[in-house]
Amino acid sequence: MYRTAAKRLFLGTSLRRNGNAHLLRFPNLKPIARPSANPQPFTDSNPNQHEFPNLSDSTSYSSSSSSTSSTAGEHTRSERQRPGIDYQEEQARVLQASLPHVLRLGWSEEAMIAGAREVGVSPSIVGSFPRKEAALVEFFMDDCLQRLIDRIDLGEDLKNLIPSQQISVLVRVRLEMQAPYISKWPQALSIQAHPLNVPTSFKQRAMLIDEIWHAAGDDASDINWYVTRTVLGGIYSTTEIYMLTDRSPDFRDTWAFLDDRVKDAFDMKKTIKEATYLAEAVGVGMGNSLQGFVNKVFQR
Amino acid sequence: MALRLVNSKLRSQILPMLSSTSLLHSHATSFGFKEVSEEEKSRLVGNVFSNVASNYDLMNDLMSGGLHRLWKDRLVSKLNPFPGMKHLDVAGGTGDVAFRILETINSMKRRAIQDSLNDSLHEETRIFICDINPNMLSVGKKRALERGLGEDKSLTWVEGDAEALSFEDNSMDGYTIAFGIRNVTHIEKVLAEAYRVLKPGGRFLCLELSHVEVPLFKDLYDLYSFSVIPALGELVAGDRASYQYLVESIRRFPPQEKFASMIAVAGFQKVEYENLVGGVVAIHSGLKF
Repeated sequence: MYRTAAKRLFLGTSLRRNGNAHLLRFPNLKPIARPSANPQPFTDSNPNQHEFPNLSDSTSYSSSSSSTSSTAGEHTRSERQRPGIDYQEEQARVLQASLPHVLRLGWSEEAMIAGAREVGVSPSIVGSFPRKEAALVEFFMDDCLQRLIDRIDLGEDLKNLIPSQQISVLVRVRLEMQAPYISKWPQALSIQAHPLNVPTSFKQRAMLIDEIWHAAGDDASDINWYVTRTVLGGIYSTTEIYMLTDRSPDFRDTWAFLDDRVKDAFDMKKTIKEATYLAEAVGVGMGNSLQGFVNKVFQR
Repeated sequence: MALRLVNSKLRSQILPMLSSTSLLHSHATSFGFKEVSEEEKSRLVGNVFSNVASNYDLMNDLMSGGLHRLWKDRLVSKLNPFPGMKHLDVAGGTGDVAFRILETINSMKRRAIQDSLNDSLHEETRIFICDINPNMLSVGKKRALERGLGEDKSLTWVEGDAEALSFEDNSMDGYTIAFGIRNVTHIEKVLAEAYRVLKPGGRFLCLELSHVEVPLFKDLYDLYSFSVIPALGELVAGDRASYQYLVESIRRFPPQEKFASMIAVAGFQKVEYENLVGGVVAIHSGLKF
């Protein structure tokens, strides 16, 4: 909970500083969303794989041969220092440009190659994404989350709704973002479900659910925290699946389905509470009789 | 252990010689464990590869137990080739890597034609194979004919120096060098050239025999490389010296971390390496921007 709040604060300030530049958004978002972009390079999932920070100074490099690399070397090195071009920004640009190709080519390397061609970057860059098309899906998920957060920050109208309505509105806003890709969304789901991609996709979904629940104004951090998130996660996922086969105009059936599920959940919450009280009462009763029994036994 | 002792003894013997040669030639470099002048090195390396060219494949299979095929497959899968790619394979005279790239692209093309969606097919795939040694290139050309790729317009064989490539700036999508960079005189010049010819977004990949650090395996590996390989070279290829050079040059090559930092200094970003078989070989990669 506190983590979410702190993150929102961080994102909020950094966004305001950056204005509306979409490019700059992604690098800000990335360290939170991706385990692979950790500042500590050696905690990567693959123990054999090591990543290096870009070394721009030549101090670390050996002296034995630097004397031999004469004029040609010096010349090219001065050319090479082009500050400001960061490969992560370029990767984000490529992914952004790939999204329009998803409808035609799917969540695939082909779409990423087409995107790279469009922004004038060598399609070779696709090879530098360790999990290829998963990177595209994850980028899209991050991008949608960012847009949802923006929407929450803007949306004063949300404040006037009761929590159950807030939740249906937010889930709907989020799911509408993937409506344009609905024909290719099953593919994205299958990519997310791939064992290699599950850690990231699970995390992204957890963050999304956190964000929605937080926006709905719940600050509880007791055992309910897990229950409510599991329930909301269930609602989100089932609605997402329902949407895949929904042919009604503007997904009308989906939104009706969503409202019903949220209502069910809130009813269930009430039911659970009642059940708890009942159980407590029964427990007390049982306890009494048990105590009586034990007392009886030991009195003998 | 013993080998390392021998090594240091050898070096201490060479040291006086080295100081005298370094007066004569300020550009001393290594040829295996020997210190030689730069011109000498390129001549000696040239000799080695002229000698081994005919038995190159057989010896590679024998020495690595066929593993070098898997390593090269891994290299190509990391490269992630695509139709319409302009690729440069340096020191790839026998075409091993180039053929693999071409086959990958061709199989992708077949799939794409079935989908009849890909408009990028109009752009022609070009793979340039650059090697300094004409003997190695002729082995590769012969193998291309055997594989029925002799007429393939995608393959271009170029005799050239990795330190001074004859290609334009920003002209290549990919650059690979497999088991080659160890033999060049100036590694950093090769890296600078690789950086120059690559387009922004282009990738540099290097497959090279590297350093084993796993304790017990390291001793075993040293024993194997210093006792078995030269003997094998003598037996099969009738050339002990060339294979002695091979194992020595592996020891002189900078270790993984050092080489990675050299790649980063050349300007590449996202520099990574992956050890295969505990570091017997390593695949380094970098991204140009």
